[in-house]
Amino acid sequence: MCRYILLIVLTTFSHSLWAATPIIEIELRDHLFYPAEITIPADTKVKLIIINTDNAAEEFESYEMNREKVIPAGSRGVVFIGPLRAGEYPFFGEFFPKTAQGKVIVK
Amino acid sequence: MLLNAVIIILREVIEASLLISIFLAFCQKYNVSRHWLMPALGIGLSLATLYAININIVSQWLEGVGQEIINAGIHIVVYLVLLVFLTLSMTIKTGRNKPLIILVMLIGVIFASIREGSEIILYIHGFIGIPELLPPVLMGGIIGAGIGLSVGVLFYYLLVNLSSKQGAKLGILLCLCVAGGMVLQATQLLSQADWITSQYPLWDTTMWISERSVLGQLLYALVGYEATPMPIQVISYISALSFMIILAAFSYVYSSRPQS
Repeated sequence: MCRYILLIVLTTFSHSLWAATPIIEIELRDHLFYPAEITIPADTKVKLIIINTDNAAEEFESYEMNREKVIPAGSRGVVFIGPLRAGEYPFFGEFFPKTAQGKVIVK
Repeated sequence: MLLNAVIIILREVIEASLLISIFLAFCQKYNVSRHWLMPALGIGLSLATLYAININIVSQWLEGVGQEIINAGIHIVVYLVLLVFLTLSMTIKTGRNKPLIILVMLIGVIFASIREGSEIILYIHGFIGIPELLPPVLMGGIIGAGIGLSVGVLFYYLLVNLSSKQGAKLGILLCLCVAGGMVLQATQLLSQADWITSQYPLWDTTMWISERSVLGQLLYALVGYEATPMPIQVISYISALSFMIILAAFSYVYSSRPQS
């Protein structure tokens, strides 16, 4: 009995734990995003890793995706996005919005 | 850069400023000591500095979502503070619970200062190495903080000068607004950290009030306005506020009963 319960628990959680969440890295350099445009599949959760190589903190922000996170200077930050419907979702660096602009294209 | 700094600092200051004005007006109206405020701000801003200095370490916690979880925790604490404050404030005429109310206000201001203060420190700190941008950022910051504090002062005098009944109504409404914003931000952060599953938005009111607009930003700071909320956010918002109203109503009825 215990074995069955364990099996059910494992299969339930393994899906969310082990189902490969695509990872995309974005670098922040001189207050610009590289790449500034990323394409992800629709209805899929994606893990963004934002690497801030600048000497100033930046806030990754997107009104369309409801995301907001401070990425400390010389550090990296994880932001989960999606699942999203097809379309374009702009994001920007709130601290340096003139240059730090980008978008997620969902197809 | 100037306008950007004004908006960023204003958005941070306005939440704490509103919370403090509600508490101070309450103290003024019901003759409660205000000596807790300065220590609360002192402790809160010291912890904010500590948090900002260690943001690198905190960010790496819990597989990179430590910041979200701590911030969501802070928002939940401020919500709970408002919940307890509102419930206890209904019993103020009995004269009991005053020390507890002071403790709750103290905790509220400490946590609000940690959250808002650390963001401001991180933002300003980034410009220290950029001499050409630092003056407009500081100037914008001062203007933003000035507007934020003015809004707080305005609400304070409004709350103090209204009749007891009207003042109480506005005070309760402001408590609910700030509390709702806290719950909404907490759920957004938990979804960003993937601790709760992200959902498709329930509706989209961007064409009416964009979150990019100044009005949208102000509403975000005041009532947690979200143009594209997830169903779980709407549910948490409504249930958190309903719970608050029900608890406060119970407390009011209970304390109004003649004591035997």
